Amino acid sequence: MLKVALAYAAAAFMLLLPMGVTGTYVVHVAIMTMIFAILAMGLDLVLGYCGQYSFAQGAFFGLGAYASALLALHFGLPFVVTLPLAVVIAAAAGVLLGIPALRLSGHFLAITTIAFQIVVYLIMAQWYGLTHGMEGLSGIPAVGSVQILGTTLARFDTPNGMYYLTLALFGLSVLIAVRLARSRIGLEWLAIHDDELLARALGVDSMRRKVLAFAVSAAMAGAAGAILAHYLHSIHPAEFSVWTSATILAMTVIGGRGTVLGPILGAVLLTLLPEVLRSADEFRLIIYGALMIIFVTFFPVGLVGLLRKRGA
Amino acid sequence: MGDLDLGFLAQLVVNGVVTGGVYVLVAIGLTLIFGVLGIVNFAHGELYMLGGYFGLVAATVLKLDFFSALCLAMAGVAILGVIAERVVFRPLRRRDPTDTIITSFGLAVILQNAALLIFGAQPQMIRTGLSRIPVSVWKVSLTMQRAIIPVTALVLVLILHCILRYTWTGRSLRAAAQNSVVASLVGVDINKVAAATFATGAALAAGAGVLMGSVFMMQPSTGSMIALKAFTVVILGGMGSVYGAVGAGFLLGIVESLTAGYVANELKDVVAFLIVILVLLFRPQGLFGTALVKV
Repeated sequence: MLKVALAYAAAAFMLLLPMGVTGTYVVHVAIMTMIFAILAMGLDLVLGYCGQYSFAQGAFFGLGAYASALLALHFGLPFVVTLPLAVVIAAAAGVLLGIPALRLSGHFLAITTIAFQIVVYLIMAQWYGLTHGMEGLSGIPAVGSVQILGTTLARFDTPNGMYYLTLALFGLSVLIAVRLARSRIGLEWLAIHDDELLARALGVDSMRRKVLAFAVSAAMAGAAGAILAHYLHSIHPAEFSVWTSATILAMTVIGGRGTVLGPILGAVLLTLLPEVLRSADEFRLIIYGALMIIFVTFFPVGLVGLLRKRGA
Repeated sequence: MGDLDLGFLAQLVVNGVVTGGVYVLVAIGLTLIFGVLGIVNFAHGELYMLGGYFGLVAATVLKLDFFSALCLAMAGVAILGVIAERVVFRPLRRRDPTDTIITSFGLAVILQNAALLIFGAQPQMIRTGLSRIPVSVWKVSLTMQRAIIPVTALVLVLILHCILRYTWTGRSLRAAAQNSVVASLVGVDINKVAAATFATGAALAAGAGVLMGSVFMMQPSTGSMIALKAFTVVILGGMGSVYGAVGAGFLLGIVESLTAGYVANELKDVVAFLIVILVLLFRPQGLFGTALVKV
């Protein structure tokens, strides 16, 4: 009961947030938090549920952002078209990376995903003709407005409009993650996580389940990337480097692996923390690294696990 | 025309052997740690990078000559390696070993960003008199500074070989690599073995960092690239195989050099990662068989 009430309270708070604040700063931080929450939730399906190590979430994020931006810039396609295309492209790349995961696990898979992350980053940074290298892409159009018969129903070119669009995609991601986690698929992921051999012996098709985890995870990252590109109007390779993957991993680990709420809490904490500690920005990544070590060593269950222990 | 091409080819191969020597040193440490302790140190590139900076400080602030700076940097980073083992890896030894993927990655994040704070982002280099001495054989020319890289690498490999082969520490390392439970039953102290393994791996990485830092510019981020190259080498050579790493290190250096010379310089770095993905897909045990720490 309490959980349901809290969920409704959180949803109401998110819906009313832009009305209660003046200026765009809070809305901006909220949008960035939701984007990273989508990324961390996606990673957790692979890491926390399926038990596969991936350092490539930043690469899928970048693939989605660049795909959506390039399609909008070169072909003038609207966001309703570029978003699904970005999701499909990222998911296809996820399947591509999921295939090595069929044969590799643990350390070997982690190395492969780092190599994939670096290759994608190098393409973004060095293929000047397509990506403009380190200068990045700029002039990415804002998400237009929805008009029916001349009346504007919704405008997405304002921060508040963008906030609600991001909120909608965030809500959809939560829904997908919760549904998957509670379905037979989620249980099979957990079985693979605990003991892949045993899971296969019990009839779990671990091949297909692993590839599916990578595909869904990458699809979520692709959507997050598309939102980022059309929200910030310019993107650079540095936003999608291995450090981005590290940050997303830290969010998932600190929040709590193998839960839907954990990565969201982690994203909130690690997005708000740098905003509060502005003066210590140069120590930001050092603090993330230290938190990763501390949480894995002493609190492997993450924030969610600690909260649950307190509640029980 | 054909003769000219042969000279160019020889030059490229020699250049490849020079960078290959660095890959060998970094990869041996990585493969040793994996072979003995069954973990992958994702912060290994950062030990290499710190070695370079320690060497730079030793050469410029302490005004030491190149080889003293090399030894000091190796010793300093070896201590760091022992601390890293104690703080980041040992607490997780009895738990899921793949959790060290996250902790060692966290350590890499800390070390690299700490180096950025302390040493700054501007590229720096260890300047020595050796880089002004030219060495020229047939159509191949390089500086003395470059020529000593593969030589030093081979000397260090030889020293490591003797330690692993003929000392009690080396024997306990090999015993732990074969079976850590049985090794501890016959009196091998696994904690000491772990510390010795990390000290050795860290020292070799630091040596590579100093050697490379005297030829190329170094930045706090150079470690991540080298670490991935070293992963490639370790996988090519077979995880845990010291001699596989030696062969594969030189091989990768030469392949990269040839790619840069004949195809395109930008593709040089991508080649390594394509190789690693292909090898993992089709020959996960490496090109040179399946050996654990075999000496």
